[in-house]
Amino acid sequence: MTVELEELKALWLDLRAHVDQLASERQQYYDFFEQASEAYVVTDEHGTITDANGAAVDILQRRKRHLRGKPLTALVALERRTEFRQRLRALRERTPGAERAWRTIFVAPELRTEVQVNARLIERPDSVGGVCWRLEALA
Amino acid sequence: MTTVGAVRELMVKRLEADSLDGDSRREMEVALEELDVMWDELQGQAALLVRENERYAEFFQYAPDAYLITDAGGNIREANEAALELLKTRREEVVGRPLAEYIAADDRVSFLARSVGLMPGGAAQPLAWQAQLQPREGTALAAQFSVRAIPLKKSGVGGLCWLVRPAT
Repeated sequence: MTVELEELKALWLDLRAHVDQLASERQQYYDFFEQASEAYVVTDEHGTITDANGAAVDILQRRKRHLRGKPLTALVALERRTEFRQRLRALRERTPGAERAWRTIFVAPELRTEVQVNARLIERPDSVGGVCWRLEALA
Repeated sequence: MTTVGAVRELMVKRLEADSLDGDSRREMEVALEELDVMWDELQGQAALLVRENERYAEFFQYAPDAYLITDAGGNIREANEAALELLKTRREEVVGRPLAEYIAADDRVSFLARSVGLMPGGAAQPLAWQAQLQPREGTALAAQFSVRAIPLKKSGVGGLCWLVRPAT
């Protein structure tokens, strides 16, 4: 029984070390994303927000937990939404000539911010994994 | 490969063979059940972290900005898609090469001089300056370099994270 217990202990320590390594990598990735001076938002291919860093939260003027799950389009000024959707669709469908950068207006209660957006598709072998956005508030 | 399940089964068989009294056997069985639960929880944690790391790695790879990670020697360890586009090169050609190779000759000395002393420890806040970027093909272009110290994946030792944007 002692041999089996030793073996169990070794397996446990291996898995524990693996989890610690993964957690350390996760923290590094998180810091990279969160501490970036640029404002980044990640959405799925339809534009639903999956993540936003601190700089993006400042521009969008919403709490992070209120951003997750919300369509990015819903934060765009009403008069610019159709254009935003069309551009996103063109990007997602890889329409020839589709632009990756354009200007739009984001709205928050009592605030309108003109923003330069720059989008890039997350490429997966057989599909589009989502979109990475950089937001830059224009003075 | 030996798994915790296989070891557990072996222990149960041994339990049956051993002449343990009823109480001792029940205690051992309960301990094994608890071990199963803890093992599953730890595996679940690992799976969750793997998924999160994949998600962040995708973000790094497909960020709209060009990012490069260099080691203490100034050699490129990682380059994302936007960086490869900017440098007009392929990943296998850039990884392991000194970043200074992609700086125009006239700016290389001052670029290296500025880079010295950024590690270890490094500045918490990004430092920024302009230099002429020399892609693998074509003419040099003015670019804004923003650099901050980061720990390198796995090793945890210091590295530098470079954000490179064409100067406007």
